[in-house]
Amino acid sequence: MPLELIILLSMLAVFAGGVFWLKLPSGVAMGAAAVVGALVGGQGIPVRHLVEGTFGYLDAMLIIATAMIFMKVVEATGALGTISYSMIKSLYRYPTLLMILVAFFVMFPGMMTGLSSACILTTGALVAPALVGMGIPAASVGAFIAMMAVFGMIAPPINIPVMIIGGGVDMPYVGFEKPLIMLTFPLAIATALYYRFRFIRKINVDEILEKLPRSVYAKHGIKLFLPLFIVIGLMVGIRIAPDAIPDIGIPLIFMIGAVVGIRTGEKVAVIDVARTAIRESLPVLGILAGVGMFVQIMTLTGVRGYLAVSALQLPPEFLYPGIALIMPAMGSAYAASSVIGVPLVFVFLGRNEIVVTSALSLIAGIGDLMPPPSLLCVFAAQLLGIKNHFTVLKAAAVPIVIALLAGVLAIIFAADIGSLLK
Amino acid sequence: MQRHHYTALAFLFLGVIVSAIASRDFLSMRAPDVLYPSRFVTKTGMLSGYCPDIHGTYGDTPVYYFESGQPGATILLLGGTHPNESAGFIAAAVLVENVRLAKGRLIVVPQACASGFTATDPLEASPMSFTLTTRSGERVFRSGARGGNPIHQWPDPLVYRHYPSGQQLSGMESRNLNRSYPGNPNGTFMEKNGHALLQLIKTEKVDIAFDLHEAAPEVMIINAIITHEKGSDIAATAVLNLELEDLKYSLELSPKNFHGLSHREWGDSASVIPFLMETSNPIQGRLRGATNVNLLLNGKDKFYSIASQLTNVRITYEPDGEPLSLRVGRHLQGFRRLIESYNEQHPDNTAIVENIPEYHSVIERGVGNFLK
Repeated sequence: MPLELIILLSMLAVFAGGVFWLKLPSGVAMGAAAVVGALVGGQGIPVRHLVEGTFGYLDAMLIIATAMIFMKVVEATGALGTISYSMIKSLYRYPTLLMILVAFFVMFPGMMTGLSSACILTTGALVAPALVGMGIPAASVGAFIAMMAVFGMIAPPINIPVMIIGGGVDMPYVGFEKPLIMLTFPLAIATALYYRFRFIRKINVDEILEKLPRSVYAKHGIKLFLPLFIVIGLMVGIRIAPDAIPDIGIPLIFMIGAVVGIRTGEKVAVIDVARTAIRESLPVLGILAGVGMFVQIMTLTGVRGYLAVSALQLPPEFLYPGIALIMPAMGSAYAASSVIGVPLVFVFLGRNEIVVTSALSLIAGIGDLMPPPSLLCVFAAQLLGIKNHFTVLKAAAVPIVIALLAGVLAIIFAADIGSLLK
Repeated sequence: MQRHHYTALAFLFLGVIVSAIASRDFLSMRAPDVLYPSRFVTKTGMLSGYCPDIHGTYGDTPVYYFESGQPGATILLLGGTHPNESAGFIAAAVLVENVRLAKGRLIVVPQACASGFTATDPLEASPMSFTLTTRSGERVFRSGARGGNPIHQWPDPLVYRHYPSGQQLSGMESRNLNRSYPGNPNGTFMEKNGHALLQLIKTEKVDIAFDLHEAAPEVMIINAIITHEKGSDIAATAVLNLELEDLKYSLELSPKNFHGLSHREWGDSASVIPFLMETSNPIQGRLRGATNVNLLLNGKDKFYSIASQLTNVRITYEPDGEPLSLRVGRHLQGFRRLIESYNEQHPDNTAIVENIPEYHSVIERGVGNFLK
């Protein structure tokens, strides 16, 4: 058995043992797995690498911490409840249309920022109570939002996994709109319909509205939504008018939104809200730090290369299923794009590279749902108050398989799809 | 105090210890590399001489001038555009410590992206430094990040919008010097660096410029000379001459629609003829095994040996590895042949650079033997 496989299995065993047996937080278990991986790999305890790994996701950590503060403020002002209340009240007669509209609504921040977690932390949080109210189980609501977050990240105009792959093969980010729309929009609609017809039966609107917080729109008027307008406006404005609006960064946008929100609705206990937000986001921040250590040690010891070469070594009949399994198993869209996506573009040279790269980005995007980090499932679980985030992943199994199948088919028929889209 | 308070204190204490150990390592990267310029260096300056805004910042970097006193062409060579591509930096250092100019001028910037030499890229597990045995003993050189240190330009945007074309790239490319050209005097830290280097080219009326790089063995453009369309004839002759020495190079033309790169923007913005050279460096590759100094120096990797046998992907990897001496030797030989080719095609404006170490000598004796 190759040393790299022994290292990988040791790391996974320590992680699983830590989480399921010792009941450690996932982040701590992942850090412990990284230390054990380094020891098995003969690296001792490489303090510098463990610390450096935690910085791999520093920007994501800041986004999550500030987004949580923003969402808690919006919740405290009553805006969140008002949106859910109004959405159900106005569209409960048309659940199919409602689900499709909600799907694109959730995807929107991801399309504009290229960041999947933005979907869950903003629009996902807005619609979650309404979807639960309509009778969809919490885990499936989490799964639906997490899937839309993946599709939002992959849909144009901004697709960072494609940019990462493009950077590795010197391919400019030009001409990706059509293939990305073709890949993501039908999948988003199909996923919305899957959850709609599986779970939504007869809607008793009065009973649902009874469970939701009351609308405070009449009391505060349109200014209730000002923080949302500011956050979404800045995110979109930076993309469409970059010369007029400087890119101040997503964390600062969320903080501006949070500060503005304090005086736009119900009274907000600022310190309590901020403290709650940080306390609730700490487990997620811990996971990100742990994932960083985990990935850094995988790279240091050669496990990352072992996985990438194993993917390329697959015989032709296993290549496509192998891609669909190994790319998401990297546990991160960005890591999968960089480590496996770039070599795979070279494997499929001669087909339509734009379609191939788009499809690879979709398959890589599923990585954001997958363990060990299961980042989007963790976010969604937290949002819905679910203790075990693996239930969210389980509830997303069918759409995940369909999305992977679509990605693989797009690679197989890339040349034909490319001609069709011309 | 309750039990969880003791746990918190223990973790806090552990955090302080870990931070202290890691900080010592990270801070060590701020100590500059020491070069021993050849006695034929006629002047040493700083890049900030061409853009005062970068004076006193980590973007400022030494510039070495060799002036023959004889009129002729002016050559510029950059190493360390990507500080994790060590062959570029070391090839430039070898030139600074060895060559003399018989005609024309040579300007060398060994660490074009000085900021990137003060950090490594998270998740890449790259070594921070490596040691070469040189004529005077052991010398340590830094190996840094691909782009600038995020402390000097932070945070990365989610999407980097190149100035002035508006081309979109992933946010991390905003710290990539070789995506920053032509630069912007009022822009970001890295855009100012790009602007300073282009100002150098314009101010010194550089005729022919080199940007030394390395790339992962699975990348298509490898062991390659990439040039602007105005350098294609020079490069074609050089590639043929290198072929006669059993040194295979591919000739690539700079894509017109891919902005920010030296071989595109230098050529578009100034009269200079730009060349970018790439060697194959396994430590940058995605398929590499254990990441350490040994891989950086010897370039030998079992996974690339396996991958080079695969038929479904092209891997540029020698069976005995891609050692640093070989990679530096290729850069030096490519530099020599391109200048010769330029001289052939511009007989009224030539430059003669003497004492460039020969490719085979560098491999046989090791690159350290060409450093003081």
